[in-house]
Amino acid sequence: MGVVCVYTFPVPEGKSGQQVVDSLQRQLELLGAVKTANFSVDCETYQSNNPTGAAQRILHVLHNSEQPASCFAILDNGTTLVADVLFEVLVAKLTQSKSGKDGYYERRKGLKIESKGPRFELSDFIVKIGSVSMASNFKGILVEVEYCPCAIPGECWELMKEMMQSFMGTVVENPPMAVKNKKDQFYTPSDTVAQYLEHFNNFRKAVVNQSPR
Amino acid sequence: MAQSGVTVSIEAVHENQIQEVSLDGHETVIPPLSMSECLAKSAQKIDFGEEDEGIEGKQTSEEGTTEKEESAFQPSLWPWDSVRNKLKTSLTEIGVLLDVLNIAKEKKYMAIVQVQQDTSEPKSALQLLAKKKAISLQSICGGLNTAASVLISGAERLKRSQEEKGGVSSHDKFHIELLKLRQNWRLKKVGNSIIGDLSYRSAGSRFWQGGTFEVTKTTSLPSDQEGSTAQQYPLQVVIPSELEGSSYLQLEIKSVPDSMDLMSVTLQVPDGFGRTPLNAHWQSRLDTAQNVLFCKELFAQLAREAVQLKSNVPHVVVSNQIITNIFPGVQLSIVLCHSTGKGDKKTGPHSGKMDHKHVLEHSLHQLLREVHHRTLHLAAPHPVTAPFGMSKRRRLAGPTAMSRSDLKEMSDRSGETLLEQIIKQARHEVLRQRTMSVIDRLAGEIPDPQIMAHWSCLNSPLQSNVKIIITSNGYEGMRVTWQSLDLEIGVDGILVTTKDRRTLKLSFQEKEVEDIIRWQVSQHHIALSQNLARLIGWQVLSYNGCSGVGEMEGFACASSIQLVAPNNDRMLSVRSGPTSGLHVFLKIDSSGNLDPSLSSLVDPKWLNLGGTFRELDLEQIEGRNLATKLELIMAMVNKKR
Repeated sequence: MGVVCVYTFPVPEGKSGQQVVDSLQRQLELLGAVKTANFSVDCETYQSNNPTGAAQRILHVLHNSEQPASCFAILDNGTTLVADVLFEVLVAKLTQSKSGKDGYYERRKGLKIESKGPRFELSDFIVKIGSVSMASNFKGILVEVEYCPCAIPGECWELMKEMMQSFMGTVVENPPMAVKNKKDQFYTPSDTVAQYLEHFNNFRKAVVNQSPR
Repeated sequence: MAQSGVTVSIEAVHENQIQEVSLDGHETVIPPLSMSECLAKSAQKIDFGEEDEGIEGKQTSEEGTTEKEESAFQPSLWPWDSVRNKLKTSLTEIGVLLDVLNIAKEKKYMAIVQVQQDTSEPKSALQLLAKKKAISLQSICGGLNTAASVLISGAERLKRSQEEKGGVSSHDKFHIELLKLRQNWRLKKVGNSIIGDLSYRSAGSRFWQGGTFEVTKTTSLPSDQEGSTAQQYPLQVVIPSELEGSSYLQLEIKSVPDSMDLMSVTLQVPDGFGRTPLNAHWQSRLDTAQNVLFCKELFAQLAREAVQLKSNVPHVVVSNQIITNIFPGVQLSIVLCHSTGKGDKKTGPHSGKMDHKHVLEHSLHQLLREVHHRTLHLAAPHPVTAPFGMSKRRRLAGPTAMSRSDLKEMSDRSGETLLEQIIKQARHEVLRQRTMSVIDRLAGEIPDPQIMAHWSCLNSPLQSNVKIIITSNGYEGMRVTWQSLDLEIGVDGILVTTKDRRTLKLSFQEKEVEDIIRWQVSQHHIALSQNLARLIGWQVLSYNGCSGVGEMEGFACASSIQLVAPNNDRMLSVRSGPTSGLHVFLKIDSSGNLDPSLSSLVDPKWLNLGGTFRELDLEQIEGRNLATKLELIMAMVNKKR
């Protein structure tokens, strides 16, 4: 498992998301990257149903195609659970309403968000360009770069920054929060997923902000 | 009054019977019988059949006339019919008599011959009858005999069972043996018979062939012919015919110069093997039958995999053999040898030694048992009701967030077939044997430095390690001079780590190991010289681990060293290469030839620039190895003049 940085790539006014993706793709191919497959990261949100009126807890369930056997569950306070994909079935059971009583968790509809796109391999790097969509509405572009050989962010951040700046420009200045906090510790896949969740939440908030307009 | 001719007529009295009188007085008279009627009536009275009684019949006929008259009135028959018939028969008989008389007299067409068999015919009938009776008697006798024998044997058995004093009766013996049998094998009662199961089904096998045996009581009497040594068991097991005899799996690795050698792998089952006599103990018979079943399953699995596996090297499956090439020029053959034990006693020709790899055969057995175990046992934790599921590694893959490449590698490793595993083990075995033989051979061939091999005692079927140490005899204290080499023997090749931690990958060729060892030997010479020089006091002028000058070696490179004596007047040069060998050169300076007048002008140290190197014949110099020889040389040469 290497170190992963996820960044939002801004879509300039007037251009469509697809055009930006294509341009990024061309740049990568010029660098010598090879397209290997497609990837997808998606997130579903669940809300707890507390009859006593206690504080409502929100649970996010994410999948990452890079770890196909796993399912990530993140609570609103940051606690992360890495489980087998069968965890979804468990959550579905919790969501079911049985014998008149409501389920323990309720699925918040309309909040399923996902990032899909091509996956490129450039020697030790894996670059993924994902178009984020929520309910088939295009939201933005997320670029994920992974440096496989190293697992400690503090040692490879500089190298990654240089590499990313070569095709992304000045978007990349500071390391993501998850990476910054773990400079000297081992980087885990749950950190990647936390980064994605942060970006997804930003996208969702952006919708909410824009809608009253 | 007498007149002439008085006619006297006598007439019968016309006393005809009156049939009826009509009312007017008219009498109807029965007409009198005519003459023919009268005669017919009389003829009827005659009975031609009875001669003696004919007269009497006539006499009585007058009395019975009236009765006959009544019978004459019967309208149906013609009255002369019976007469006619009787006359006809008498005519026929007379004709026959005439014919016979004619034949007897004339003897023209027929003759009367005495028939001789007339007397015997009545006799043969009697004989046949007698014969039939005899046969039936015999069969009855025979039947009675067998019945008698059965009854007698039964009676004897009963008598025997009654007679046994103290001790256990045979009936109880049977049950005790049955108890012992049940402690080792699964039995169940089906109807009247006891059926057992000797297959590995309960241990996890999924083979289509099942082995069921039947348990019977020994009914035959102990025969005296076999002698008293044959033990009689109260229990007998009946084993299915396809599992009779015994079998084993033979694994052979041999080198074939060209492609696969299919012809030479012929069945060479040692005779006398697999002949468990029928009255052997039931445990041994059941064990051998179970072994037969196991070998069958093993071979069936291997054959199936050999056919289905897609690999670079094709596997050949021929009836009971599987042949494949594990290395170019090395062939592995797996043969299922099954002897039914019923064959004739002639021994087959044992051409050539059979080089079984017993360890690999045992390993095959273990692998199949592992497969059985895996079908039954699932890694914990799992619910009791779920006997199959994912392996532990797969279950942990989710929580440990394994990437796609990790998962792929895991699936590749766990899906290895039996054949692949045994091929890997066989390859490792071949590599290890070859390396061993090379090291041993070189240790014998090269006398100068000693080659020692330390094999690691912790091995696996797929990897072995060996450490090769090259030292000079007598100078082992100088650890620095040691050349050590680590060989890691794997499945496909050998990984060599030298003293300076360089790694080299070798293929399966034996020559590569030999080359490496020879090269290390040459390196050792030079290292030894260096250290010896340091100890003795000579100075090292130059050390070249890989000299690029001089003749080229066949492989690797030569190394050389130049040493100079403490008083600078002698110089030694040692060059050692894996193919060129060891050469020692000595240079003695020519200061003795100089004009004494020049010596004050010229610094002695410049004197040793000239002079030529001359090779020393190391054979002539006393000493066991290079170290001692060098020491001697250096000491001699350094003598104070």
